[in-house]
Amino acid sequence: MLPPCRSKKDVRTMDDRKIQIFLDSLLPLFKAGVAFTIPLALVSFALGLVLAIITALARLSSWRIPKLIARFYVWVIRGTPLLVQLFIIFYGLPAAGIVLDPFIAAVIGFTLSVGAYSSEIVRAAILSIHKGQWEAAFSVGMSRGQALRRVILPQAARVSVPPLSNSFISLVKDTSLAASITYVEIFRKAQQITATTYEPLLLYCEAALFYLLFCSVLSALQNVLEKRLDRYSAS
Amino acid sequence: MIEIRDLHKSFGPLQVLKGVDLTVEHGQVMVIIGPSGSGKTTLLRCFNLLETPDKGSLALNNIKLDFTPGGKIPQRTVLSLRQQTGMVFQSYNLFPHMTALGNVMEGQVTVQKRSREEARTKALALLDKVGLGDKADTYPHQLSGGQQQRVAIARAMAVEPEVLLFDEPTSALDPELVGEVLKVIKQLAREGMTMVIVTHEMKFAADVADRIILMDNGVILEQGTPQQVLEQTKNPRALQFLNRLSGED
Repeated sequence: MLPPCRSKKDVRTMDDRKIQIFLDSLLPLFKAGVAFTIPLALVSFALGLVLAIITALARLSSWRIPKLIARFYVWVIRGTPLLVQLFIIFYGLPAAGIVLDPFIAAVIGFTLSVGAYSSEIVRAAILSIHKGQWEAAFSVGMSRGQALRRVILPQAARVSVPPLSNSFISLVKDTSLAASITYVEIFRKAQQITATTYEPLLLYCEAALFYLLFCSVLSALQNVLEKRLDRYSAS
Repeated sequence: MIEIRDLHKSFGPLQVLKGVDLTVEHGQVMVIIGPSGSGKTTLLRCFNLLETPDKGSLALNNIKLDFTPGGKIPQRTVLSLRQQTGMVFQSYNLFPHMTALGNVMEGQVTVQKRSREEARTKALALLDKVGLGDKADTYPHQLSGGQQQRVAIARAMAVEPEVLLFDEPTSALDPELVGEVLKVIKQLAREGMTMVIVTHEMKFAADVADRIILMDNGVILEQGTPQQVLEQTKNPRALQFLNRLSGED
């Protein structure tokens, strides 16, 4: 006997079911984004930026030991996969008696990553400022620290907005790796919903849409920031 | 007020200063001239330690420094020397992220710890003095080269230095903008500001200098009043340099 032909009505109910799942998932995914993905990205980026500036200054300093430590740190972090680093922190450290909350473990992992990659951006930006600016600052009596804080870093910040925005957008997407250490952000939420609805294509596409939405907002913010900082540059 | 003795400076194998002695009196305008590569800019940059000499000594009022190869000058001494000197650069080097007013306030607020109000009043007065009172809120890129250089002079004056150093202040300017900058420097000379000026503007040098130093190849070839150096020198190399300049006019 042939299987019964699916009626038009059956197809309709299948579509309805998918639409219903899609709509029902919007709010949980959005909440996961706002309450978990974005805080993780923001905290990691803020801490990572501080670490990046310290690392860049250490590499530019004339002191040997800080310089070596900074180079070693950048070498290790850039040369190993972020996912492996997260596993070491979250699943590996408990063996050494250090048990971390998923959020804390993720923040540590992403901060170290942002700090290493962005330190190169900050270093390049500082080096791109003309040496006449240092000399002008020195000529009015500023120390190195004062010159850096008042004259060099504000100008370096302007130069580094586009590449740092890139880093931040990458970071927002990389936070999906935190799903693998049980941190329930957008992607992990999508996995959970998939487990009960068996709609992987739908849910993962929906999760992707949320990343696209968040990253688009960030790109727009980058433009605003660049325009604001542009008032003093000739170009 | 400033005494320099036997100053030496090398960059790698290149000897730029080969034993320079000079004295600048309080209120004096000293102009340093000489062919390109004669070491005049390096000499000027030694006055505020943007270059650290290898050998010799430098004294400014109560600060006395002796230089030895590889020797380090304590940071505190460097800073206090720099607070008593002001410098105007060939390429202005204004802070592009600050307005004209901000540029002139910066040293006062950050280094001298004056209140913003006090610094602002002083900065506005100085901008007025260089003829740019109406440009206080303008950013450097919106100003002409001559205007930028006048802001730079106001910035250097703002920290009330004992001496102002000028490194070819008009070399980067369009010819029609040179006059407005020279006028400001002449005004300062009349007011008794102590100044050391490296320049290629011979007419200006003759006009403003109390004393002219002619450098060549890392040494002082000739020094004296403008008349002595520009008109009465017998030194063949000095004559050669001066003739070449007058040939250009």
